[in-house]
Amino acid sequence: MEQITIALAKGRPAKSTIDLLEKTGEHFVDLHEDSRKLVFYNTDQSIKVIFVKALDVPTYVEKGAADIGIVGKDNIMESQADVYELLDLKIGKCKFSVAGRPEHPTKGNQKLTIATKYPNVAKKHFQKKGQTIETVKLNGSVELAPIIGLSDYIVDIVETGSTLKENGLVVLEDIENISTRLIVNKASFATKANEVQTFINQLKSAME
Amino acid sequence: MQRYVIDNNKNTNVEDFQMRDMLLSKLKKRFTTYGYKQVRTSTFESYDMYSNIIGTVNKDEMIKVIDTSGKVLVLRPDVTIPLNRMTTLNGLTPDNQRLFYILDVFRQSHAEADEKESTQAGIECFGDNSAEVDSEVIMMAIHTFQDLGFSNFKLEIGHAGFFKELIQQANLNEHELESLQALIQSKNLVDIEPFLSQLNIDEDVRVAIQSIPMLYGNPENVIDQAKSIIRNDSMKEILQNLIDVYEILQAYGAENSVVFNLGLINNMNYYSGIIFQGFVDNIGKPVLMGGRYDNLGKQFNQPSPAVGFAFEVDLLIHAIQQQELAQPQSPVVDVIIHYNESKQQEALRSAYVLRDNGLQVLTYLNNKSATQIRSSYIAEFNESQNKLISRKIEKNFSNPEELLALLQKEEN
Repeated sequence: MEQITIALAKGRPAKSTIDLLEKTGEHFVDLHEDSRKLVFYNTDQSIKVIFVKALDVPTYVEKGAADIGIVGKDNIMESQADVYELLDLKIGKCKFSVAGRPEHPTKGNQKLTIATKYPNVAKKHFQKKGQTIETVKLNGSVELAPIIGLSDYIVDIVETGSTLKENGLVVLEDIENISTRLIVNKASFATKANEVQTFINQLKSAME
Repeated sequence: MQRYVIDNNKNTNVEDFQMRDMLLSKLKKRFTTYGYKQVRTSTFESYDMYSNIIGTVNKDEMIKVIDTSGKVLVLRPDVTIPLNRMTTLNGLTPDNQRLFYILDVFRQSHAEADEKESTQAGIECFGDNSAEVDSEVIMMAIHTFQDLGFSNFKLEIGHAGFFKELIQQANLNEHELESLQALIQSKNLVDIEPFLSQLNIDEDVRVAIQSIPMLYGNPENVIDQAKSIIRNDSMKEILQNLIDVYEILQAYGAENSVVFNLGLINNMNYYSGIIFQGFVDNIGKPVLMGGRYDNLGKQFNQPSPAVGFAFEVDLLIHAIQQQELAQPQSPVVDVIIHYNESKQQEALRSAYVLRDNGLQVLTYLNNKSATQIRSSYIAEFNESQNKLISRKIEKNFSNPEELLALLQKEEN
């Protein structure tokens, strides 16, 4: 058996992913979401788990540094990585939405300014609708942008909508549903077919 | 002075070049044993030729140059198309049926702005459309992978026509087709079902399309599964073509190196028959791509069946370095000659004789030698005697011919 490497996203969704991994019957030494360690092994060292920044997971997998990645659909869409997307883990559910101030006037066919952490997703969505936009890439507190006039709207992930509400914004349009997905490197899928399939099946039965 | 550290040339040092050279000579040797002859194409190609041919290189990715007359040229973005044009225009002769090339291609993309040039080593086989030719070309790729020492490599084989045939019955618009293609390329089983169900297509076509991503793996299983979604004669023919190719690969004894992947869609739209790509450990991208393209010749008004593939040499080198398949070579020469001024003439004449006989020789006056260079033999010329030294022997000699004879005796 060859060793397979799995890249996990650090941060919010890590806990539920770790729970799921434990349910597969593989035990990972020291693996919990508060650990400072970045590399973990299961008991027979056949699986290596690495922790990376969520947006980097698709990159690790696309380049073959990890065979498998477990990460939110939002990051897969933004990175536009060329990978296989094989499984919906049905955790971390939320959606991509366009939001803005309720009283903001629609500008007709004029160019819109969109503040977002996900410029690729925003561009793709508005391109489909035939609307030209300018994106402003922000790294946090995106809700602020329309309030202080930096942008017309925002494109962001929305879970409960309470952050939007507290800042006086409303969802104007939903773009796509998001959940945590399992992605696989295209070369690993061919060269490590058995190992990858075994792990996916373990995960599938753990979800039931 | 300003320092230019943007060195985009990969593998610029001597050791890397040696390794690259060794790799290329292995490829050359293997291609030659299948009867292929090396050619090159011009670095500059006409922009119009590329922009007129449908389904080739993305126009934005080509690097354009304008000559003094205002004509737009591109730096060779691929080799297949110029070779195809050359053969179709010159007509097929016994000389140009089987060609191979090792050439740089130039493309630019936003994602990897630093990587504008890469080396491709590929082959093209013109004139025949048969399962025998297809499988021989695939076998040659497998054989080359074995030469390079990869223990774990896989060739994915698919067919450009299978998806195209199926999709014709679904009557999709451009947007829908693009989304569907992306879903199939990423084997996105999660989203393909809801996507298809919102389209207005026949139930059994929908089921067939939905099963494409998982038509993957052991060829015999895939063939069995594919039989159940065959919808017309041309799909039947395509499947038969794949079965024939697989049977011949079995005859070669190569069945363990291949898997079938009917969800394989190549972005180069000119492929018309089988398509395949090769993977090795730890490299996320295919290191080899190829397939049959019988319709490309039509665009030069001369249909000409052809099949070919190309290795991405830079990725291969990366893989070989990662898997440590190449032994690092420490700088070694055959003979180092040390001499005194009084013996200069004799020593240099000896060096000439040895070099003339194909030995690598370095000469140093008065023991001033670069210490890190090692040699199999050391020849010393000083006032009292001439001496040949190696780990095993220490012998005197009186003239260059005697030295050469000594060395040749030792080497045998």
